[in-house]
Amino acid sequence: MTWLVWRQHRNQAYLAAAALAAFAVLLVVTGRQMASQYQSALAACTPSHACGNLANTLILGTPLLSLLVTLTVVVPCLLGIFWGGPLVAREFETGTNQFAWMQSVSRRRWLTVKVGWALLAAGAWGGAVSALVTWWSSPVNALKSQNFQPGQFDIQGIVPVGYALFAVALGIAAGTLLRRTLPAMAITLVVFTFLRLVIGQDLRSHYLTAITKTFSFLQGPAHSPALPTGSYWVVSQGLVGPRGLIPASRPHGVGISVGFHGLSVSLNNMPSACQRLALAGDPRGIFPCLTARGYRGLFITYQPASRYWAFQGFETGIFVLLAAVLIIVTAIVVRRRDA
Amino acid sequence: MMASSNPAVIKTCGLSKRYRKVTALREATITVPEGRISALIGPNGAGKTTLLRLLAGLAAPSSGEVAVLGSRPGQDPAFLAGIGFLAQEIPLYRRFTAEDHIRAGARLNPRWDEASVRHRLTSLGVPPDQKVGTLSGGQRAQLALALTLAKRPRLLLLDEPVAALDPLARRQFLAHLAEAVAAGGLTVVLSSHLVADLERTCDHLILLAASEVQLCGDIDTLLAEHQVLVGPRKDTTAIERDHTLVQAVRTARQTTLLIRRNGPVIDPAFETADVGLEELVIGYMGQHTGLAPVPAHPTAIGEDQ
Repeated sequence: MTWLVWRQHRNQAYLAAAALAAFAVLLVVTGRQMASQYQSALAACTPSHACGNLANTLILGTPLLSLLVTLTVVVPCLLGIFWGGPLVAREFETGTNQFAWMQSVSRRRWLTVKVGWALLAAGAWGGAVSALVTWWSSPVNALKSQNFQPGQFDIQGIVPVGYALFAVALGIAAGTLLRRTLPAMAITLVVFTFLRLVIGQDLRSHYLTAITKTFSFLQGPAHSPALPTGSYWVVSQGLVGPRGLIPASRPHGVGISVGFHGLSVSLNNMPSACQRLALAGDPRGIFPCLTARGYRGLFITYQPASRYWAFQGFETGIFVLLAAVLIIVTAIVVRRRDA
Repeated sequence: MMASSNPAVIKTCGLSKRYRKVTALREATITVPEGRISALIGPNGAGKTTLLRLLAGLAAPSSGEVAVLGSRPGQDPAFLAGIGFLAQEIPLYRRFTAEDHIRAGARLNPRWDEASVRHRLTSLGVPPDQKVGTLSGGQRAQLALALTLAKRPRLLLLDEPVAALDPLARRQFLAHLAEAVAAGGLTVVLSSHLVADLERTCDHLILLAASEVQLCGDIDTLLAEHQVLVGPRKDTTAIERDHTLVQAVRTARQTTLLIRRNGPVIDPAFETADVGLEELVIGYMGQHTGLAPVPAHPTAIGEDQ
């Protein structure tokens, strides 16, 4: 069976290997440049203790390169569409499953070998791309502490492996149920994108209860709680109002943000009188203005950097579990339904 | 009789297959003894493909019993190793070469006869290294048949196998089939809607019409059981009572009856004649499809004469 699967899909494998190799060469070359650039910048600023501002002055990589790396977010989806979708659907469409099912091989083994190799390849490719991106991003992560942010979280670490497994399983299941390649590919694109968005935007921030810290207008920096460090992920932020927390609405309507205790908080939902002060270029007047109206301070709700790998684990686990359910459904359908 | 001494390779009882609203096969009860070449004949849409797919285990029956080579058709390798099934659409991988298919078969079957399939393809002039998608329809059919035979099945189920072949290739293929069966251990069921193709080769008949089995048995026996009666236009109630009327064709002067005999026919007004396979098949098919040359309903005209 393995020989048959390889013979059927070897061209896809060659193509994917070539694309991965090209991507690897590009990232290894530019990644080494970026790493040495970062090291030398760090070495230059350390003696003068001026490294705090490095994140704003040092530019690593080119915008095009960053865009390319950010775009690896679609790799799992592409694997699902082009590997998962046709895997079983094309056999039904062309009737070749009848050739395979009339050899002396059970449908279960036929499916196990096909799906097994497809998932293995998906995991390997998803993992390889993610490993390259993670390694390439390490100086950027160190500089900007952004690997917990949506967008970066999705292309680094182990989650891309989970996404890839899920996407390919989704393509296989859709192809098995619909028995047609193009609809299976379309369903894979739509369902995968929808689930990724829903889980990324609405579910991920709740894997563990976020931590909220408030910073009173009345206390000096010395008495305020310490700011979180590292690549923490701000889930919500805003004002501590007269009757509780008022998160800034997203997306930030008016682009005003005010520095306070080294914290930058967007204030777009503050009373309009105070907003006008900010617009008039009087940021210092804002805090008395807010205090006079019963506002007591600022807050941020965040997931600390220490939870990064736990979140990676949760998210990967969810997608691997979904993939497992889809594969079980596929196996039942293939065994029960007529050829 | 041969039929009773040979064990049944296929035995079904009340076998039915329903798709949502359509009944593709209704209450089919058939027996095919070992060593037969059985012609599965019926008009398009009669359920031939459905029956073959049920026997091959590609489809599951809605109700009824089916035993093929002593077991229920399923998905286990031991059962599949004994069955050679070739679907009408000739499913092959279009991007594979003939050689690729041969290698795949060698890896997927326990009794793969690689030498015979190579020999067949060479003698038929099917190029081994050309993609199957670029072969002619006839070459593809030959390749698929050779691959099905290379599995060395005990039961061959072929759905319209000769449809894509030219007349000479048809004859060669059927002759080859007859040789393989004569060598022993092989039983064949092949479907067609053309009787002429099968008359020369087959010794067993399964006749399907309107999703039901009309006839099943050895062709010689079936032909001996049926008779054509030609006589004047007259009341045939007595004949219909004693025998089973299959088809009646009445013209102004003459009545032609196809009957299944229950003993000798003793009406001196009628001349008796033997039935040919084609006549028999068309007689039964005419009952259900109205394809008979003249109005087919036996009671349509002249009951009171």
